[in-house]
Amino acid sequence: MIGLLGVMCLVFLLIHLIPGDPVEVMLGESAQPTDKETLRHALGLDLPLYQQWWIYFKGLLHLDFGTSLFSGRAIGDLLIERIPATLYLSLVSLLVAITVALPLGLLAAVRQHTPLDYGAMGFALVGMSIPNFWMGPLLILVGALWLGWFPVSGQEGWNSVVLPALTLGTAMAAILARMIRSSVLEILGEDYMRTAQAKGLSATRAVMLHALPNSLLPILTLLGLQLGGLLGGAVITETVFAWPGLGLLMIEAIQQRDYPVVQAAVLCISVTYIVVNLLTDLLYAWLDPRIQFKTD
Amino acid sequence: MKANHDLNHMCFTMFPYTSSPRLFLHGLRILWTIWLPLIGLFSILGCTESLSDHTLRFGLANSPSNLDPRYATDATSARINRLIYSRLVDFNEEAIPIPALASWIEVSPTHYRFDLREPRPIFHNGAQLSAKDIKATYESILNPERASPHRGILQLIARIDTPTESTVDFFLKQPDSLFPGYLVIGILPANLIAGGHPFHDLPIGSGPFRFLERPDETRLVIERRADGQRIEFLRIPDPTVRTLKLLAKEIHLIQNDLPPELVSYLSAHDGITLQQRQGANFAYLGFNQLDPVVGQENVRKAIAHAINREQIIQFALKGRARVAQALFPPEHWAGLSSLTGYNYNPEQAKTLLKEAGFTPDHRPAITYKTSTDPFRLRLATIIQYQLHQVGIDVSIQSHDWGTFYGDIKAGHFQMYSLAWVGVKSPDIFRYAFHSDAIPPAGANRGHYSDAVADHLMTQAEHTSDRPVQQTLYRTLQARLSETLPYVPLWFEDHFALSSASITGYQLGADGNFDGLSQVRWATSPSQQVALLHP
Repeated sequence: MIGLLGVMCLVFLLIHLIPGDPVEVMLGESAQPTDKETLRHALGLDLPLYQQWWIYFKGLLHLDFGTSLFSGRAIGDLLIERIPATLYLSLVSLLVAITVALPLGLLAAVRQHTPLDYGAMGFALVGMSIPNFWMGPLLILVGALWLGWFPVSGQEGWNSVVLPALTLGTAMAAILARMIRSSVLEILGEDYMRTAQAKGLSATRAVMLHALPNSLLPILTLLGLQLGGLLGGAVITETVFAWPGLGLLMIEAIQQRDYPVVQAAVLCISVTYIVVNLLTDLLYAWLDPRIQFKTD
Repeated sequence: MKANHDLNHMCFTMFPYTSSPRLFLHGLRILWTIWLPLIGLFSILGCTESLSDHTLRFGLANSPSNLDPRYATDATSARINRLIYSRLVDFNEEAIPIPALASWIEVSPTHYRFDLREPRPIFHNGAQLSAKDIKATYESILNPERASPHRGILQLIARIDTPTESTVDFFLKQPDSLFPGYLVIGILPANLIAGGHPFHDLPIGSGPFRFLERPDETRLVIERRADGQRIEFLRIPDPTVRTLKLLAKEIHLIQNDLPPELVSYLSAHDGITLQQRQGANFAYLGFNQLDPVVGQENVRKAIAHAINREQIIQFALKGRARVAQALFPPEHWAGLSSLTGYNYNPEQAKTLLKEAGFTPDHRPAITYKTSTDPFRLRLATIIQYQLHQVGIDVSIQSHDWGTFYGDIKAGHFQMYSLAWVGVKSPDIFRYAFHSDAIPPAGANRGHYSDAVADHLMTQAEHTSDRPVQQTLYRTLQARLSETLPYVPLWFEDHFALSSASITGYQLGADGNFDGLSQVRWATSPSQQVALLHP
């Protein structure tokens, strides 16, 4: 709660530090000074900062984020409109990433210094190096234009998620595969792995039963961070694919200087990070009983 | 390390042949069990229904920000609102105000009478448009509590009367011969204005198209009243993706907002038709007159002579522009075709710099502000190079649009490039160049001050004799060309790229979307479906 309160205060202050006048954004350059003053008063922007913060805080308690300066729509409605699309894309991307990275990382670890390992790590290097704004159009060219299997962009049907999810998932899989490889390699050197070998366990069972579960914690940390980033809106990918998610909403709002929307979107992203990290910590304790939360 | 090596070796030799990877598959099954319902849930929540193939799809760089014409200020909103709402006055090709909903007479310099043409149009809610709707629309704009951005220019209206159902009288606080040209805002039904109808969400006008739905901020669907043809506007911010979408036949039409190389790429494809016509959006270099370097007239003239605009148009803009000598193009009623302006003459530029006290050892240094748009940045780099050739050192500062525009409005610049878009009325001269229009009073951002220019503007505004007004505005433009608060660059052409599946679209003079009233399928809808899904 303290973290959330801190984020809320920080977002509020940062938005008010950015140069620019929301009233000028709403009325345009040609508006009369008296009209600007009237609107400033109507929006409560002529009040001292602490009073504005208090009004904003009370609004948040009622989940009232205010209204968009440009469209005049309730920001809560805008968020409700965009969040499912971002969640959908995030979950599919994560699925792609795990599906690709898990076997790749495992195989690279158990067959260290073999062509398979070099191939997998080469893929990881390429995946990390290719920026999404290039990977996206490349996938569109192949998947949509040459093969005609998927729509170029937008969110119109089940298959429209494939290309943006592949764009995001490939980059994530690359990092994840490297992490899985190094994490599993570390575990493979542990004494209990030698014991597993000595008691006659097959290589597959040893890796799947002992190495993989014990290497999960650092992987989980990375997954938590990546999921937090995805839920915060994959800005570039959403822009390239015109995916109507939170990232695209925030970019549009920043470009238009729609401060209340930027404020709400940043807050939403920050809260997502906090919640995902909290869930990751809780998951640690569930996965590894040695980890306990203490309160003094 | 030895044990590790042994285990690796064992894995390497045994992995493919040992027991089936049941545990791994079991793990994956658990993953799918959790993940798939979640994905399914959000695909239902997040997925938007795709429209039928009979819908004509128009790709846009920006969504319309406001569908209530009283509050809309951006170009996309203005173009779409023109389709949904009717307006009192429009402009012809020479930018002369012409009757749209109503014709008018100037009863006195402060009294204009508008008579609605018969038959009066019907609003999308079934009511007939009347003089009361016009009065209510303009009175709501003038209401300070409504905070309409259009109130500033319309504040000269003192009173609006409606003597009959089809007559509206506008009484002005002071004479302004350009007044009819200000009445271009879409008309809304009076009863809905009174009831506080949310026009932004549910626009109701009397234009040729009616609003159908806006599933989210990136999509808007309207329907042509004449035949029920649906048009869907899709926001696709990335120009490359917009191009690929047209090639993949997912959209049928793109208009403007594409880099020249993508226009050339698309127009070379079979099945894509390029329409192009001269535009009037005026690109210019602006200067801070208070700056010790660019505040000097000779430096600005040197810059004007140093820029090879023909070359930039030919190579960077791929010929899709024409050189500008003044704010209005020659075909505008107040335009000045005889103005020769400043030709490319690097030697003359060097001489002017010398006269301004600069030498090769003491070169002027200028900061050039522009946006982060890659194409604008490319143009800035070319200008930087050309100015360097005559002995002017230019450093480019590019900022995101909000910061850049904020800096320009605040006067934090030496030199910048921008464009006036969709300007038709000569009141722009007062707004941009009058010494009383220094921000926040107007858009004289460079603090230009010239008594002769001020006097010409005032004289032109106080005469209702069009030929006299024309002469005064032309003299004013010659004066601006002489004193050079702006270096005129070019007027970019408008273009539309359409797929072969549609026909009849006529590109609007000012880049409007009015051509959608005539567009139709080149083939019947059933054949169209067959083409899309062979």
